[in-house]
Formats: sequence, C-alpha cells, structure tokens
Amino acid sequence: MKTEVRRTSIRGSSIRTKANLTGWLFISLAVIMIVIFYFYPMLQALLLSFKSGTGMNLDYVGIDNYKRLFSDKTFTTALTNTFIYLIVQVPVMIILALFLSVLLNSRQLKFRGFFRTAIFLPAVTSLVAYSVIFKYLFATDGMINKLFMSIQLIQTPIEWITDPFWAKVTIIIAITWRWTGYNMIFYLSALQNIDQSIYEAARIDGASATRQFFGITIPLLKPIILFTSITSTIGTLQLFDEVVNITQGGPGNATLSISHYIYNLSFKYTSDFGYAATVSYSIVVIIIILAFLQFKLAGDKK
Amino acid sequence: MKKLLTILLASFMLLTACSSNSDKSTNTSNEGTNGGSTGKKQEITVWAWDKAFNIAAMETAKGIYAQKNADVTINVIENAQDDIIQKLNAGLNSGTTKTLPNIVLIEDYRAQSFLQAYPDSFFALDEFINAADFADYKIGPTSFEGKQYGVPFDSGVAGLYVRTDYLQEAGYTVDDLQDVTWDEYIEIGKAIKEKTGKDMLTQDPNDLGLIRMMIQSAGAWYLQEDGKTPFIANNAALEDAFNTYKNIMDANIVKVISDWSQFVGAFNSGDVASIPTGNWITASVKAEAEQSGKWAIVPFPTLANTASSVHASNLGGSSWYVMNVDGKEAAADFLKETFGSNVDFYQTLVTEIGAIGTLKAAAQGEAYTAPDEFFNGQTTIADLASWTEQIPNVNYGMHTYAVEDILVVEMQNFMNGTELETVLNNAQTQAETQIR
Repeated sequence: MKTEVRRTSIRGSSIRTKANLTGWLFISLAVIMIVIFYFYPMLQALLLSFKSGTGMNLDYVGIDNYKRLFSDKTFTTALTNTFIYLIVQVPVMIILALFLSVLLNSRQLKFRGFFRTAIFLPAVTSLVAYSVIFKYLFATDGMINKLFMSIQLIQTPIEWITDPFWAKVTIIIAITWRWTGYNMIFYLSALQNIDQSIYEAARIDGASATRQFFGITIPLLKPIILFTSITSTIGTLQLFDEVVNITQGGPGNATLSISHYIYNLSFKYTSDFGYAATVSYSIVVIIIILAFLQFKLAGDKK
Repeated sequence: MKKLLTILLASFMLLTACSSNSDKSTNTSNEGTNGGSTGKKQEITVWAWDKAFNIAAMETAKGIYAQKNADVTINVIENAQDDIIQKLNAGLNSGTTKTLPNIVLIEDYRAQSFLQAYPDSFFALDEFINAADFADYKIGPTSFEGKQYGVPFDSGVAGLYVRTDYLQEAGYTVDDLQDVTWDEYIEIGKAIKEKTGKDMLTQDPNDLGLIRMMIQSAGAWYLQEDGKTPFIANNAALEDAFNTYKNIMDANIVKVISDWSQFVGAFNSGDVASIPTGNWITASVKAEAEQSGKWAIVPFPTLANTASSVHASNLGGSSWYVMNVDGKEAAADFLKETFGSNVDFYQTLVTEIGAIGTLKAAAQGEAYTAPDEFFNGQTTIADLASWTEQIPNVNYGMHTYAVEDILVVEMQNFMNGTELETVLNNAQTQAETQIR
C-alpha cells in the first residue's frame, strides 16, 4: 500500500512539476525582461541614492542624502505643493467624474455619444500641447482674463501665472480639465455593469434618486473609486509636464512639483544624480504609504 | 503587483534620463568611426540651439572653413539648449562618448559646472587659441585650472534699450539716460509712466537676470571667487541690487510677464519704454520695422550705492567647447581658423547675423563701426563692443541657477516685507545646504 501511494504521488508530482515548469517557461521571458529593465535599474537607483557629488565625481556618502532631504527647504516646498495639488485636485476630480458619468449614463439624455466623446477628448491631447495652450489662455492679458473682464466678473486682471496662489489654482484647473474625462470613462463602464433591476427594485420600494445614488451607485462603484483615486494619487505625485510648461515651477517655487525638482537637480543645476535619486526614492516611499492608506480606508480585505 | 507598479513608475524618472540620448545616436553614430583617422574625410558634429543666431554663425564658419579644407565635413545639429544639457549630462555620466558631438555650445553660466563635473571630457585648446585675444570677462567661465577649454563666442554685453519718442513725450532726451544710476532711471521711469501711461520695463518674477546684470556690473556674483562657496549674506553689491530691484518694482513702472514671448511682445507692441538686457535682443527689437528710428542704446545703469559698479555688464552669452573624443584635433583646428582668429569672419557675423563676438581684434573692423539706421544712426555695434571690454570679470562658478532658484523665492519674501538681512541670511543657509 505504502509503496503504491508513494509511486502515484511521485508520478503526480512529476506531472505537476512538468506543468509548473512549462508555466514558468512561458512567463520566464517576461520575468527576465522585467528583472533586467525594471529591477536592475531600481537597484542601481537605490545605490545611486547613497552617493553624492557633481557629474561623474560621485562618492558614497551613506545616509547623508536622506538627512539632507529633511533640511532641504526646496524639497519641503515641492512636497507641500504636491500635497496641496493632491488634497485639492484628486477629490474634486473624482467627484466631478462621478457626477458627469452618472449624468452621461442617464437614459433620458440625448446625444450621449457626443457628450461622452467631448468630455473624454482632453485625455487624448498631448500633455505638453495642452499645457502650452493653458499657459496662453491664463496669461495676464490672456483670453480667460479678457473674458472675465468683459462680463464684469473682475475689475483688474487676475495674475493666473505670476501670483503664488493663483498659479496653483491654474495648475489644478489644468490637471482637472485633462484627467476628469479619463476617470469618467472608468465610472461609466462600471455603471453600465450595474444591473438596472437593482434600481427598479429600489424605485418600487420608494427610494429617492439621491438615496439610490448613495445606497446603490456609490457602494457598487467602490472598487473603481479606489482604483481611480490610487492612480490619480500616483499621477499627481509624478506631476511634471504641466508645471514645467505652464509656470516653470514659479513664481518662486510656488508651483514646483517633486518631479520637477528631481529634473532641476539632475539637469538644471550642476547635476547631482545621487541626490536626485534620493528624492525619487522619497516619492516611492510616499506612494507606497498613500496606496496602503487608501486600501485600509476603503476597507477592502482583498 | 500594485506596489510593484508604483515603484516602476517612480523609477521612470531615472530611466528617461538614460533613454533620451539614444534617439540621437542614429544621427551621430557614423562620426565615431570616421572621426579618428586622418587623411580620409573627417566629420565634425556640432550642437547648438538658435537657428537665427549661433547655428547661423556656425553655418557661416562652416562655409569659410570649407573653402580651404574640403576634406572636412561639418554637421551642425540643432537641439534645444535644455536638450543639449540633458544629452551631455546623460552621455558623460554613462561614459558613452559615441553619442556626443565634437563641438558643443555651452552657456557661460553653466560652463564651469560641466568643466568641473566632467574633468577630462573636454579638450584643452591652449595650443590652438590665445585666451588674451578675447574679452577678459569671457576667460573666467571658459577656463579651468589654468587651461583654456572654450572658444569665447558671443558677447552678452548688456545695454539699456530706450524708446526716444517716449522720452521726448515725458520731457527728456536720450542724453538724460546716458550713464545714469538705477535711482535716476526709476525717476525717469515714473515721469514716463505719468506722461505716457507706458511702463518703463518688463520683469518676469521667475528670472533674476536683472539682478545678475546689476551685480556683475559691480564685479560681484552669487558665489565667492572660488566659484563654490555661496556669497549671499553680507554681499554688499547683492544687497544694493535687491534694494534697487524692490524700488523698481514698487515704483509701479513694471509690466509683469511670465515668459519670453510676452517679453518680446511687450516691446514690439510699444508697451514699454526701455529694455535693460543683453545685446542679443537687438534682432528682436529690429523685428518691428515700424519702430525704426525710435530706439537708442545707452550704457547700462550703475548701482547708486556701490562704488565698484561700472556702466557695463553682461547677460547670457555662450562659448564653443571641443569634446575629448575622436576628431578633437580637427574640431579644434576648425575653431582656431574661424572663431579663434578670423577677423573678417567676425565682420560677416555682425552684418549677416548681428552677432557681436568677443575677439578684441574684430572691433576695429569696418562692420563694427557702421551706423545703424534703426537706432537713428547710432554706431551701436561699436558702442556695445567698447562696453564689452569694460565688463568686470567674475567667476560664475558652478551653481548660478541653483542659487538663483533660491533667491527667486527669497526675493518674493523680500518684496512682501521681510527684512533684507533675514532674507539674504536665509538664502545663504539654504545655498550652503544645497551646494556641496
């Protein structure tokens, strides 16, 4: 008996091993590529973050770069700016996208296809191209100011780009314009997967539209909301094109983002790739923490 | 998987640095193989950034050199200045010299950061050119440890461009603006604003070019003479410049702008009465032909409370560098025969392109002494060339832009009422942490 069992188990395991091997073989190419092109540079970047110096004269400085982060006022400014974008822009965009998607999902709405395309269209434009256009729209003697002044909304032109507060507002408006449609598409597809009969049942029970929205739509969209908020968070933390093209980080670092600071450290100033790598890794740490928090807050065990 | 994704995205920042130089390799890869051997056809690659200015100058030089040296092919490749800096940094760091050009144009403010950060990557030109032939102030940025690495190109000599018609309307003449201090400039600016409603000048709060010109006129800079130690606190010239800048901004004579096209637009449309800037703006000023005869160029104003301040300064300007790769001798010889010594060539540069060089001998040429009708017959080139020789020589060092980004922030604080001493001390502390 014993030998019988063992023999079958050996045969079984050998089949399994074979199947496993085939499986590994199939993914091995992808794994090797990922290791070479992602993990290896990541490791190199980590090593680089412990070095400092100008250009090629890099020396190991231990955790000195990480200490420098905490006393670096420009880094703190960049971090604060990025978080302001994050805290203001992401919720505004998510809510706006939700609102629009529910509107566009309504069956009574005519020309739905047209509106959907129109709202999604910003997402296909090039980041640089739209940034440059925004820069001119929001210039002190640009179209937005002219429009506002001609309808008597304001008396003197708003300094959209040269005032520290308004420059941040301009950036937030720009990113919201660019990404709302993109997020809306996710909600729209999720909404279409919700069974209409659930709403029917709710209506029969006498639930109001608001109640339906908060009682059915939101809970069923929760995984998508989590997904979009995480991707938007990551996107905002990596904000670069808009800031560089619209305000160049100014006035006086008031709109500088972390990625822009990394760029400056590497290319604008005498290049210190070591410290730039340290700042890059700080983004990694922040993103991991934020993603973790969002998972926890959303209460999803999976 | 999500964590992985997040890390991957972050590491893109560094990856892009590596990938950016690969697209150029197709253009220049043939240079590495051909460049080294003499006798065969030599190829020299040049990187520069301004089609109407330095590229045009290079093309002219190419034409002149080709008449005598038919066996050398010169490829001038246009890249944006930012791209050149990125590609140089990426190429020099990775050690792949194949993608690098033979000759590259580098802005004087950045030159030291390349020469010092990548020693041995540039080719010393002492055997090819004589540094003493060029304007003194150009030698600081283009040399390192006693060796001459750059061939000085354009003069960034600053002048004060003024609208004579606006001056007249306010009851002044051009003579009233000759050799003035900034304080006098502000008074005239106020009068013009009152009479004509026009602003005196434009300023971009993100760009402290005006401060740079002011302190160089006094022979001072953001850094000590060693080019490394921040010199912000207790820098008398910088203090004076900060105060002057604030007085200008507070006098309500400034049109605030945020980029180059608004800057050019402001004077082309007649919105401002003066432009304190580098002479390379001449072409843009003359682009508005209707304003012919309405402009004059007067010497740069001085800082009223700084004795060392002279009526000459500089903004921008760049020089040619030979990379230490195959073909360096050929490249150096090309520069020697053109930018390094050819006086006639410099006359062509002035007449064809409007580029004022820094070769001292060139100033005696015919083109330099010709009057310019656009400026009411003023011999502008001769004036600018004579101011070029008076520009105080300062060591720009390695960190001009790093310090400037700190100062831009502190300048905002100063404008909003913080004490000057506090502002400069803060900037000094930050610069010390940032620069090492």
